[in-house]
Amino acid sequence: MNVIEINNLTKMYGKSRGITDISFHVEEGEIFGFIGPNGAGKSTTIRTLLSLIYPTSGSATIFGKDCVQFAPEIKKEIGYLPSEVFYYDNMKVKDLLKYSASFYKKDCSKRIKELAEIMDLDLNKKIDDLSLGNKKKVGIVQGLLHQPKLIILDEPTSGLDPLMQQKFFELLEEENKKGATILFSSHILSEVQRLCNRVAIIKEGKIVTVEKISTLQENNYKKFKVETKIPLESNYFNINGVNNLEIKENSTSFLFRGNINAIMKKLADIELVNLWIEEPDLEEIFLHYYEKEA
Amino acid sequence: MNIFFHELKAYRKSTIIWSVSLVLIIALFMSFYPAFAKDAESFQKIMEGYPEAIRNAIGFNLGNFFTILGFYCFPLSFITLCGAIQGMNLGTSIVSKEVREKTADFLLTKPVTRTAVLTSKLMAAFASIVMTNIVYLAVTILITLQIKTADFSLKVLIMLSLTMFFIQLIFLALGMMISVIVPKIKSVLTVSLTTVFAFYFLGMFSSTTGEEAKRYISPFKYFDTAYIIKHAGYESSFLIVGAVSIVLAITASYFVYLKKDIHAV
Repeated sequence: MNVIEINNLTKMYGKSRGITDISFHVEEGEIFGFIGPNGAGKSTTIRTLLSLIYPTSGSATIFGKDCVQFAPEIKKEIGYLPSEVFYYDNMKVKDLLKYSASFYKKDCSKRIKELAEIMDLDLNKKIDDLSLGNKKKVGIVQGLLHQPKLIILDEPTSGLDPLMQQKFFELLEEENKKGATILFSSHILSEVQRLCNRVAIIKEGKIVTVEKISTLQENNYKKFKVETKIPLESNYFNINGVNNLEIKENSTSFLFRGNINAIMKKLADIELVNLWIEEPDLEEIFLHYYEKEA
Repeated sequence: MNIFFHELKAYRKSTIIWSVSLVLIIALFMSFYPAFAKDAESFQKIMEGYPEAIRNAIGFNLGNFFTILGFYCFPLSFITLCGAIQGMNLGTSIVSKEVREKTADFLLTKPVTRTAVLTSKLMAAFASIVMTNIVYLAVTILITLQIKTADFSLKVLIMLSLTMFFIQLIFLALGMMISVIVPKIKSVLTVSLTTVFAFYFLGMFSSTTGEEAKRYISPFKYFDTAYIIKHAGYESSFLIVGAVSIVLAITASYFVYLKKDIHAV
């Protein structure tokens, strides 16, 4: 079953572009990454899903129901964490969370305590007195306290220190194991790489590709770096599939895509000092997509 | 209901401050009455010397100024001005507060309809106004009973005082409409003071000419105190215009708010 289905969704802000003709779906139980640079349309897509803004054309369904028409009903099972969190400043953390919980028809007090403990959050402080990171923690607890079936995160890690990020990711993975579907928007690729099964890449309001993280990495280049005793001839690696060849004295690096045996034979014929073969990280794949499109 | 109570709690301080202020103002003014009633005659002569236009503008009426009800009308015009500001403040902040404090995302990603959000907030603002009026009315009646020199109609006193309530409702609705339509209001007070004073002065100028039709321009002129004292009733045509403008403004607010895009901060 698809938890989120987006069909030809378009949102224009007057004449300027928001998102154009976006379609993808998120399956139940997956952690779906949504990556793209700032201003690509990630937040616009998410805000449309949450019916904070209304689509110009196209539609989206969540749990099989239209996201505009059934918005209040759908939102019972959604937990949302925005990139910047703002709450009623003069409230205590405890009161804000209670207020938040009062919208869901279930008892959340136990879960609030658990989450606050995991995230190391002081419930008795005033929101006003919290640092950015601590406000973010309030946001996390607030988004998860009703045990939603769908968690929507819009660049959620800004302001969290690495330790808290780690705890937060563990928390998400735990929720995911319990059955929650997660839509994770980010411009930080390592996060997406770490968590997600599938990913949609968005650029200038359009979806560039939707792929499994693993396919993205498989179908792509491997990074080679060799160190030799004597500098190599510049045309030594002149075979099909070699790209971005760079020779700096004794070290040579290039990207390779194609039959791995061909390149290994080539390598076997030279006197090596050292050899690195690396999977490209998403960053490089990502850049590749962007360059290709540009 | 949770939004209603949350909002009501947020208004608690302002409701108390407004109630106390209004009560203090009326107490101060009414404390002049006993001394005033003594010198009634000489004062009347002074006021007769003023042109009629000016007397109309400040809402001064020769015939009944020296009865306690007539005297009460004088501070009342000031009280309604303050009350209008309170109403307008509440109305303007209904939606703009969420935008300014950037909490709209929090509220609108909860499982509630926008209609429910707006209704709860409107009801909380309404409750704040009702409470202010109850306190004000109770204290005013008490004071007036204490200082009266002759018997007066309690019904008329209440009717006079309620004009503030009606004017507040008009400005509450107007403020709400503005807060929904204007994308971002940086300072509620600037907007509300400007609007309220604009209408107040419009009302003052329109009454100097004495033309009946011009009274419809400003809500402050919908309730003619002299008429109320004389007939112990309101002028129904103005009541209707007031009610219609409230309904229109509120309907427009709902209409716009339900269709509106809530933009990221």
